[in-house]
Amino acid sequence: MRIVIAGAGEVGSHLAKLLSNEEQDITLIDANAERLAVLDANYNLMTVVGEPTSFSALKEAGASQADLFIAVTPYESNNIVACSIAKKLGAGITVARIDTYEFMNPDYTGYVKSMGVDRVIYPEYLAAQEIITALKHTWVRNWFELHDGQIILAGVKLRPGAPLVGMKLKDFSFTNRHFHVSAIKRNHETIIPRGDDHMDQGDIMYFTTTRDHIDELLMLTGKNAGKVKKVLISGGSKIAIRLVNLGHDEFKFKIIEPDLERCHKLPAKCPDCEIIHGDASDIDLLAEIGISEMDAFVALTDSSESNIFTCLTAKELGVKKTVADVENIQFISQAENLNIGTVINKKLLASSTIFQLLLDSDQSTAKCLALADAEVAELEARKGSRITREPVKDLKLPHDVTLAGLIRNNSGMLITGNTHIQPGDHVLVFCLEGSLHKVERLFN
Amino acid sequence: MRLHLLNITQRHLINLRMLVRIMGWLLIIEAFFMIFPAITSLIFDESDWIVFAFTALGTALTGIFLAVKSRPNSPHMGKRDGYLLTAMVWVVFSLFGLIPFLFCTNSMSYSDAFFEAMSGFTTTGASVIAVASDFSHGIHMWRAMMQWIGGMGIILFTLAVIPMLNHAGGMQMFNAEVTGITHDKIRPRISQTAKSLWIIYITLTITLIGLLWLGPMSLFDSICHAFGSISTGGYSSSVNGIAEWHDSLYTKIVLIVFMFLGGVNFSLIYKSSQGNLSALKKNDVFRAYILLISVMLVIFAITILAQGQYSGWQSITVDPLFQIISTITSTGFTVVNFENWGPFVLALTFVLMFTGSCAGSTSGGAKIDRMLYLVKNVRNELYRCLYPNSILSVQINGRVVNPDLVSKVIAFLCIYMLLIVFGGLALTAFGVPLVDAFFSAFSCLSNTGLSAGITGYGNSYDILPDAAKWILSFLMLVGRLEIFTVLVILSPAFWRR
Repeated sequence: MRIVIAGAGEVGSHLAKLLSNEEQDITLIDANAERLAVLDANYNLMTVVGEPTSFSALKEAGASQADLFIAVTPYESNNIVACSIAKKLGAGITVARIDTYEFMNPDYTGYVKSMGVDRVIYPEYLAAQEIITALKHTWVRNWFELHDGQIILAGVKLRPGAPLVGMKLKDFSFTNRHFHVSAIKRNHETIIPRGDDHMDQGDIMYFTTTRDHIDELLMLTGKNAGKVKKVLISGGSKIAIRLVNLGHDEFKFKIIEPDLERCHKLPAKCPDCEIIHGDASDIDLLAEIGISEMDAFVALTDSSESNIFTCLTAKELGVKKTVADVENIQFISQAENLNIGTVINKKLLASSTIFQLLLDSDQSTAKCLALADAEVAELEARKGSRITREPVKDLKLPHDVTLAGLIRNNSGMLITGNTHIQPGDHVLVFCLEGSLHKVERLFN
Repeated sequence: MRLHLLNITQRHLINLRMLVRIMGWLLIIEAFFMIFPAITSLIFDESDWIVFAFTALGTALTGIFLAVKSRPNSPHMGKRDGYLLTAMVWVVFSLFGLIPFLFCTNSMSYSDAFFEAMSGFTTTGASVIAVASDFSHGIHMWRAMMQWIGGMGIILFTLAVIPMLNHAGGMQMFNAEVTGITHDKIRPRISQTAKSLWIIYITLTITLIGLLWLGPMSLFDSICHAFGSISTGGYSSSVNGIAEWHDSLYTKIVLIVFMFLGGVNFSLIYKSSQGNLSALKKNDVFRAYILLISVMLVIFAITILAQGQYSGWQSITVDPLFQIISTITSTGFTVVNFENWGPFVLALTFVLMFTGSCAGSTSGGAKIDRMLYLVKNVRNELYRCLYPNSILSVQINGRVVNPDLVSKVIAFLCIYMLLIVFGGLALTAFGVPLVDAFFSAFSCLSNTGLSAGITGYGNSYDILPDAAKWILSFLMLVGRLEIFTVLVILSPAFWRR
C-alpha cells in the first residue's frame, strides 16, 4: 500500500518505521531536513523535505497516488489542511491527528468529512478510553473484548505461586478447554507459544476466553478482581482532561498538578473533579490527600520517568491499580517488569488505529489493540479469502500469527485446529510485529 | 520494537552468517549471467563454451551451498554489514569472474585474469588483452557482460531481484554502493527504486544494441559495444578497438548519445521519462555537465586547428566530442588521431577524467556534483574575505546543502588525490616509469581505463609487472565504490566495538 505520512515527529516517525517494516511503501514529509536525513539513511522509506501543507511538497511525495494519507504534525489545523489538500490531489483515505474532541463529535463529522478528512486520530481520547478499560478490569494488564465480551483477550501477569506457574501449555489446554493461550510476553519479547512451552512466574500471559469463564481465569492466575471508585491522577495533561470527562460518572477523580496556572484552568474543563496543586513525588502531600484510600493511581505527566516512579511509590503506599503514561517505547517493557499495572502509550494507540485501517479499511467498527511489539485485531473473514478455505490446522499459518477466537452468529467461540472459519466470522487475530502483511494476505 | 533490547545485547559486530548467505545468492546471480557467454561460444562454435558452462555450474553450486548452509541467527544487518558486503561482493565476483580467463583458449595468468575481471566489473575498461582477436567471442561477451553488471551495480541488481533484501539492511548496501554524496530514492521502497533504475538501464541498453546494429556493426559487436558504452566501461571486442568504425559517422553519433546518457544521473533519467522534464532544467549538476562538455569542445576544436590537424568538419566536431564524452563518462574509448592532438588536449583529458560526470550514473571519476560543491564553496569563501559577517550557503538544485556535506566532499577530494599520489608512488616502486605510473593510477582510480598507450608506454596494461596489476585492481575497486566504502573497512574503528 502506498502511504504518505506528513510530519516526522514522534508519532510520524514511529508509524513510518513500523509500517516500513511491515513492507508498506512509505513516503515521509517534514520541513526539518536533518530529522529526515537520519530516517532516510537507515530505513527503507522515502523522505521529502517540505511543509506538509504545501501543494508542491505533497505532489512531490506522491500524495495524489497514495492509498492512505496520514497527517500527524503537532498542530491539528495543519493536519486538517494537509489532509484536505491531499484529498484534492487524489489521495485515497486521509487521516488527521486532532487534539480537540469537537472534531470527533458525531454532530460535526459531516463537516470534517467535507473538508477531506476521512478519519481522525485522537491519541489522547484513545488513551483515556484505554485507562477506563484498565480501571474497570484491575487484575489484567491488557483487556480487549469483542462483541460485548463474547470473546475476551486478557493479558495477565503470573505472580509467584499462581496455580499455573510451571505448567506446560499442552497440559494446561488439555484440562482447560475454555482458554486459548494466544501469546506470552517474557523478558521484553512476545512469543506465540507452542504446546511444549511452559508458563513461568513473571510472564504476561495473553488468554483468550469467553465471558462465562473469566472467573475461572481469575482463580487459575491467582488474582482478585477489585472494584475501583476513587482515582488519583498525577498531571493535568490532555489525557487527564479527556479521562475525567469520559469517566466522571463511574469514578471519583482527583488531579494533582504542579503548575499553578494549569491548575486554575482545570476546573473549567473537568467536571466533578478535585484539583490539588502540588507534586505527586511529594510523599507528605500524597499522605494528606489520602493516597492509601485510593483505589487507583494514574500518572499522566509529560515525563515517562516520573510517571513510572510515582506509580511505584503509589504501589508501595498501598494503591492496588496503577496506570502510567510511558511515551518512550523502550521503557514500556521495563515498566511492565516493574509491576506497573497498565502502561499507556499514545504512539502505540495511534498506530493501532492505522493498523486497523490497513487491515480493513471499510470496517469502521473493527477493533485493534496495540502492544509494544504485537497487534491484536478483529478481522472479518471475507467470502473467498484464504482463511475460509480450510480448517485452521491445514492453513499453514505463519509462526508469528495466531487465531484466538471468533464471533459467529453473535456468539463467541475459541479457535482450535479443527475450526473451519466461515465467511462473515469475526476473528480475533494476535500477530507479532512485522507480520501484518501475512495477515493481510490471509484475510483479503 | 522487538528488535531492540535483546538484539542490542546479542548483536555481533558483523552478522557473518547473513553475509555469507547473501553472498551465496549473489553468486547464483553471477552464474546466471555466465550462461550468456556460454551460449555465445556455442553459437560461434568455440570450445570455450565448456569453460563457461563449468564455471557457471561451479559458481552456482558454490552459491547454493553458501546460501543453504549458512543459517543466520537474525536477518538484521547494520552499517558494518552493508559496507563489508558491498566491498566483498566486488572482490568475490571478480574472483569467480576470472575463472573463464584462466581456462579459455589463449589463457591468462592469475594476476592478468583478476585485473581483467576487476577492470570489467568496475567499468574501468583497462585491459591486459593486446590483440582482441586472440580471444573467443565467448570471452568478449563475458567481458562486456561484466561491465554491464558492474555499471549499474551488482548490489543494485540484487536489491531489485531478491526480495529478502527489501529491508533496512538493503538500505545500508544501497548507500554503500550507489555513487554520489546523497542518494536520492525515487520510490519509497528500496527494491522499487532498484527495479526502476534497472528498467531504465535495460531499456537504454536494448535501444542502443538496436541502433548500433542498424549501422555497420555486426549484432555481436553491437551487443558488446552497447554493454561497454552504456555502462561507461570501454572494453572493445574488435582488434582496433572503437577505431574500427571510425568511418561511420552514424555509429559515432549513436555512441556519443548513449555514453552521454550513461553519464547522467539515472534517477534524473527516470524522472524525465515520467514526463517531469522540468527536473532536467532545474538540475544544476546536469547543466554543469553540459556546460563542461560544451566548453571543452570549443577548446578542443581550437587546439586541433592550432595543431594543424584539421581534416574535414568531423575532425573538429564529432571526433573531439566523442573523445570528450568518452573521457568525462570514464568510458575510455579513444578516437583515431587522438595522439596527434598535442599535449594540451591530453592535459585537458586529465581534467575530464578527474571530474567525471553526474553522481548516480554509471560513470567514474570524482563526479561533477562534488566539483560543483567545491566551486560554490570556494566562491563563498572568497566572498567571505570581503564580507566576513555574511551568512552564505551552498545551494544545489535549489536546495541548501548541509554544511557537513561540504566538508565531506572536501575530505573525499583530498583522499582521492592522495590515492593517486600513493598509487603512482607504489607503481614506481615496481619499476613502472614515472609518468605512466601516475597516469595509470589516475586512470584506474577514476575507472576511465584510458590505455596507458597514449603516454607512449605500450598498447595495453599487460606489460605492467604483476604487483602493479594488483595495486591498480585495488584502486579500481576503491574508485568504483567512491573511496569511503572500501577505506572504512580498512580502518581500525570498523573492527572494534
